[in-house]
Amino acid sequence: MSEITSKIKSIRWQHLFLILLMAVVVVGTDSCTPKGKLSKKDRKAAIESAKRQLEPIINGTSTLSLEEQQRIVKGIIAKNYNDPVLNTMIEDAQQRLKAAFAEQEKVRAQKIDEARAALYDMLLNKDNKSADELAKDLMAIKAQNLKDSQIDDLIKQVEKKIHDMRSSGGGTANRPLKGQLEDAFFSIASDAKSGNLAQADKTIQKTLSLFQGDDVPVLIIISREGKDVDFDKPTTIKRYLNFLRDTKASKNKIDDIQTDASGKIKELDLIK
Amino acid sequence: MRKQFALMIMVSLFAMAGRVTAQDNLSPQRKQAIDSLALEKVRDLSKYISIIGDKTTPWSDAQRVIERATELFMENTEIGVSSLGKQDVNYYKVREYFDRLMQLNYDKVTIDWYKIQYVSDLVRQPDGTYVGVITVYQRFQGFSKEKGLVYEDTTKKDITVYVKRKETQIGGRLINFWDVMLGDIRVKETSK
Repeated sequence: MSEITSKIKSIRWQHLFLILLMAVVVVGTDSCTPKGKLSKKDRKAAIESAKRQLEPIINGTSTLSLEEQQRIVKGIIAKNYNDPVLNTMIEDAQQRLKAAFAEQEKVRAQKIDEARAALYDMLLNKDNKSADELAKDLMAIKAQNLKDSQIDDLIKQVEKKIHDMRSSGGGTANRPLKGQLEDAFFSIASDAKSGNLAQADKTIQKTLSLFQGDDVPVLIIISREGKDVDFDKPTTIKRYLNFLRDTKASKNKIDDIQTDASGKIKELDLIK
Repeated sequence: MRKQFALMIMVSLFAMAGRVTAQDNLSPQRKQAIDSLALEKVRDLSKYISIIGDKTTPWSDAQRVIERATELFMENTEIGVSSLGKQDVNYYKVREYFDRLMQLNYDKVTIDWYKIQYVSDLVRQPDGTYVGVITVYQRFQGFSKEKGLVYEDTTKKDITVYVKRKETQIGGRLINFWDVMLGDIRVKETSK
């Protein structure tokens, strides 16, 4: 008992009191700050941080999406730092974002216009593309994710056209019309030259099925100088295919193919 | 009033003359294209004649080719036929010539045209038609099953060609085309 008493007496009470006082000051300072409010130092640091976040938005150098940038600005506004410089920067950032959103909408409208035109072209297939080529072009348009009801409707129509092309024509339907015709012309001439007239006749019949009818006009350009275009006497596709068979040569190149809504050729221009 | 009317007439005539001149002044390239077109038609004819004369050509094909070949000629055109044993040259209407060619009394016939070229360039006539003469050499061979080659000759022939500019409407487009028509085929000389 006497040992315990002597140890208690040996404690330096002044030191202990000093330590307790410091602890009370430190804890008391922190706990007395109201919730949501920053110390002057932290507030200053937060404002600087907000300014650093706003700067790339104002300069237009931010790599974030516009939506993300807008979220950051709204977050800073919600903090209500009430700093005059920061407030000016917030206004600048808001104006910048407003202009950027307007530009984005303009670009989107332009893309929609372009996609609409491209889809109409695909439906008419003016360039005589194969089903695979159309599908590739369509994929590029779909990847833009334009979120426009008219575009979505046109995409469905083109998908149907591609499906019909694939299901109706077999392998050759996937090839461009120009290529099919060039191959057919070459085959007819070379089969006739080698004496395989039956094969040449088969190719003639198959080729005629690409046209609206046997009497579809075929125009042969013999000379083109600016606006002056000179033609050979117009003929018809059936006569022209037989001509290839009879002369055993295919010398003219395809200059233009005009098709109807169903993809059948309604006029063919060749050039010497 | 009369002076004004006369002036209008003169202006109109000048305008028309200018238009005609502009149309007729073909560039060398366009003229070359027309020259080539006419030569091409004669080459086409040579292939048609070869098919018609070929005994292996089915009758229906021969008839179709005769139609195409006949369309190359102007109306009432004649084609000369010669042979080594006869001095005279017989002339037949185009259709009759092709029918006879198809029925020649040989088992096999080969007809080749070569050296197809202009002897008289296409020259514009007052009516706007271009007229020229193309010469060809024809090698004819007739075979029989028993004796093989029984007759052959080479004939030089002159073909008059007429090329006229025409217009037609196709699919709403005004098409200016050059119509090549072949005239008489005259025998110039026949040799073995």
